[in-house]
Amino acid sequence: MSDETLLRVRGVTTVFDTPQGRLTAVDGVSFDLGAHESLGVVGESGSGKTVLSRTIMGLQPRRGVAVTGSVRLNGTEVVGASEEAKRELWGRQVAMVFQDPMTSLNPVVKVGKQIDEVLRVRLGMDRAAARARAIELLEMVGIPAAATRYGAYPHSLSGGMRQRVVVAIALAGSPQLLLADEPTTGLDVTIQAQILNLLDEVQGRLGMSMILVTHDLGVVATRTSRLVVMYAGRVVETGTTRDVFARHRMPYTRALLESSPKISNPSHTRLAAIPGRPPNLLDLPAGCAFAPRCAYATDRCRSERPVLEPADEPGHLFACFNPLPVAAGGPS
Amino acid sequence: MARYLARRLVTLVGIVLVISVGAFYLIHLLPGDPATVILGTGDSPQNRARLYAQLGLNRPVIEQYFVWMKNVLHGNLGTSFISQVPVWTTIRAALPIDLEMIVLSQILSFAVAIPLAMSSAKRPDSWLDRFLGAFSFTMLSIPAFILVVVLVLVVAIKLAVPHTGVSSYVPLTQDWVTNLESMALPSVVLAIGSVTVYYRVLRSDLIATLQQEYITLARSKGISQRRILWRHALRPSSVALLGTAGVNIGGLLAGGFIVQYLLDIPGLGYTLVNSIGLSDYLVVQGIVLVVSIGVIVINFVFDFLITLVDPRIARE
Repeated sequence: MSDETLLRVRGVTTVFDTPQGRLTAVDGVSFDLGAHESLGVVGESGSGKTVLSRTIMGLQPRRGVAVTGSVRLNGTEVVGASEEAKRELWGRQVAMVFQDPMTSLNPVVKVGKQIDEVLRVRLGMDRAAARARAIELLEMVGIPAAATRYGAYPHSLSGGMRQRVVVAIALAGSPQLLLADEPTTGLDVTIQAQILNLLDEVQGRLGMSMILVTHDLGVVATRTSRLVVMYAGRVVETGTTRDVFARHRMPYTRALLESSPKISNPSHTRLAAIPGRPPNLLDLPAGCAFAPRCAYATDRCRSERPVLEPADEPGHLFACFNPLPVAAGGPS
Repeated sequence: MARYLARRLVTLVGIVLVISVGAFYLIHLLPGDPATVILGTGDSPQNRARLYAQLGLNRPVIEQYFVWMKNVLHGNLGTSFISQVPVWTTIRAALPIDLEMIVLSQILSFAVAIPLAMSSAKRPDSWLDRFLGAFSFTMLSIPAFILVVVLVLVVAIKLAVPHTGVSSYVPLTQDWVTNLESMALPSVVLAIGSVTVYYRVLRSDLIATLQQEYITLARSKGISQRRILWRHALRPSSVALLGTAGVNIGGLLAGGFIVQYLLDIPGLGYTLVNSIGLSDYLVVQGIVLVVSIGVIVINFVFDFLITLVDPRIARE
């Protein structure tokens, strides 16, 4: 881990005001991210990982959301900052690669213009310079015939190409932190690896920090140095990617690992599904949120909520009363 | 794109033909006849028959239609039985008034409706949004002929602003100040009707657009909310607005006659109402034809604008 802390997240809680009641999507999440470091945030759908990434950026909807805790990006507090103050950070210090390139690009604006905008409005470039730089960015993210594609509308590009455009937009302001929110969910399997490799490459090349949000542990295995495992809005295990894979203690982490397809498995291996359903965030159980689905749950798990406690390795934390023995967690 | 427009054009020519047939038959169904207007009620049946033969009105209606259509296709709309003025001369004098009224009212409508819709859509259910919603609904339910009377009362009489009338109407090219003075009131009346419709259509589309992921992406670039609204949200939200505007403007061309009649503005609608009263068949037919072509051209133009605004639409 780098000693230089770029992002400091402390006790972040995001509560949505819904017609059905108050919904705590992110509950007391804390972690640090160093410069040039890459962090994976993993969890099932509804575990709060997308909301967490938006909260870190301060990009949550303007109404009906309450955020508490602290997010310091380069020393600037994001939680509670005005929209104007956050605008200064957005694009220049932190940028996001969105989930689904079919919906995240403006359908009626040429893709080149969508990249241009950051350059012209945020960096103050003139029209010609912005155009040249936008084409450069399109080339950098691997779009062939970039000068022609500059004038293309999103609907004439494939999903993979669109996601490359989204990456180019995110890179336009040379941010120090890139938040990639399930950047490959909407893409064909064959394209997924290309986009992930692209993110990996630009992160290294531009010296950015990256938070890679995904439900697929296979995605983060080789691309991140540390992991945060989320369940029902809370961090249930965190540590170096190596420790989380090889020495995880939380049964949920193991369930996630087992549900991720592995190349090394013989073909037609049935994937292990996590039994039960993700919890209803409006009606969480009193104890451990995972207890109803956990094979190891005891009465204590059902009545008392476990907090993060250190494992044997430095920086490795887990929240479980009945942790798995280390030997049992060895992945293939 | 070219094929899409060509296909639309063919449909539109067909529509004009159908309307021309309909208009022709309808006017012959109306009570009243030109011979009475020209000769008065006391004249002999022989004289009436002679006049009928002279005007070609003794022939079957279907034949009259084809004679008229043939002349129209040769660019000849005929000459009024009553005034002996060529129909085209009458239309050419009146049409610019309608066009000016429409252009002024629409500029005004868009200039008011777009910012209002944006301020509503920015914060749906805010007090401003609720107020505008209630206000626009009220205005929407007031018919134009009542608005005219109220505005005349307030503006012309209470505020003693010089108002309009045939006597005071002068063409734009002659004296634009006097012209605009006389056009202001009708344009405002027409604009009020348009603003309420445009505001409501655009507001709901803007609210839907602002929920889109690409608006969040635009926001994440760190650009101002004003820029997000104008550059990112307005265009994708304008498809229904433009469609509505096309229909609405067509309606103004055809339906502006109430305002023109009440304010004595010698536009097409005013002329049409007078000509119907005089059973001036050729003038009525000519105006109906020109107005229907106008309505269709306007819709065509707006359909085309929609393809410019949303490049995805012309694809199929």
